[in-house]
Amino acid sequence: MSRRYLFVIDRAPYGDWSGRETLDMALSAAAFDQPVALLFAGPGVHWLRGGQLPKAIEQKTVSRNLAAAAIFGLEALYVPEDELERIRADADENLEINPVASIRDLEDQYTDVVRL
Amino acid sequence: MAAEEAARFTLVITGAPYSSQAPQTALYFARAAVTAGHTIAQVFLYGDGVHLASSLASPPSDETDWPAEWRAFLGEHRIPATCCIASALRRGLLDESEAKRYAKPASNIAAPYQVAGLGDWLAATQDSTRTLYFNGGQS
Repeated sequence: MSRRYLFVIDRAPYGDWSGRETLDMALSAAAFDQPVALLFAGPGVHWLRGGQLPKAIEQKTVSRNLAAAAIFGLEALYVPEDELERIRADADENLEINPVASIRDLEDQYTDVVRL
Repeated sequence: MAAEEAARFTLVITGAPYSSQAPQTALYFARAAVTAGHTIAQVFLYGDGVHLASSLASPPSDETDWPAEWRAFLGEHRIPATCCIASALRRGLLDESEAKRYAKPASNIAAPYQVAGLGDWLAATQDSTRTLYFNGGQS
């Protein structure tokens, strides 16, 4: 059975390592040529803000990892369209963000939905 | 009525014992699945879940020793179990060879757990009918 993986990041960056470890899973699956996409929801949408300066809290920026997503073959970065408004003005212009109308319809397209 | 087809489950545990109920819930699920004739193909510890692999956990004698319960279950049913190396190293969980490599004074991951990368998780998901994730609570 062929698999399709959707990884959901629903917590803000930097507060804990769950998002970073979710991204590691996504990049690892993509490296093995699996169909992979990311969905950012709730406080997770803040991952997509531009101009992040986490050096002040001695962390590495997550923007660089996301910018590499396309290079590693991730199919898309999804955001629920009603949540995109929260960051639209500040979204990282280097990222291609895909609004989705229904999370349920999106999840139905994947065999494996991973939400850590 | 036809008998239900047996499933092959991979269980991913990302919540630590004693800070979440994830290892306990996963163990109850695994026991029920095996009793019902299903197979647990692989257990993968990831994120905070790697703490379950610690062979040094020493809870008080009137509390359940979840790491020991899991070790016994894995041994009894010969279920392969993997501890994600990146998650484990940053949290101070090392097997003997990693402890040597990083010149650390002790190790705390031992059989039945193997230390490996995310390739093992991916292969397990491909080899299973379903992969279930047991997470800690939201902080």
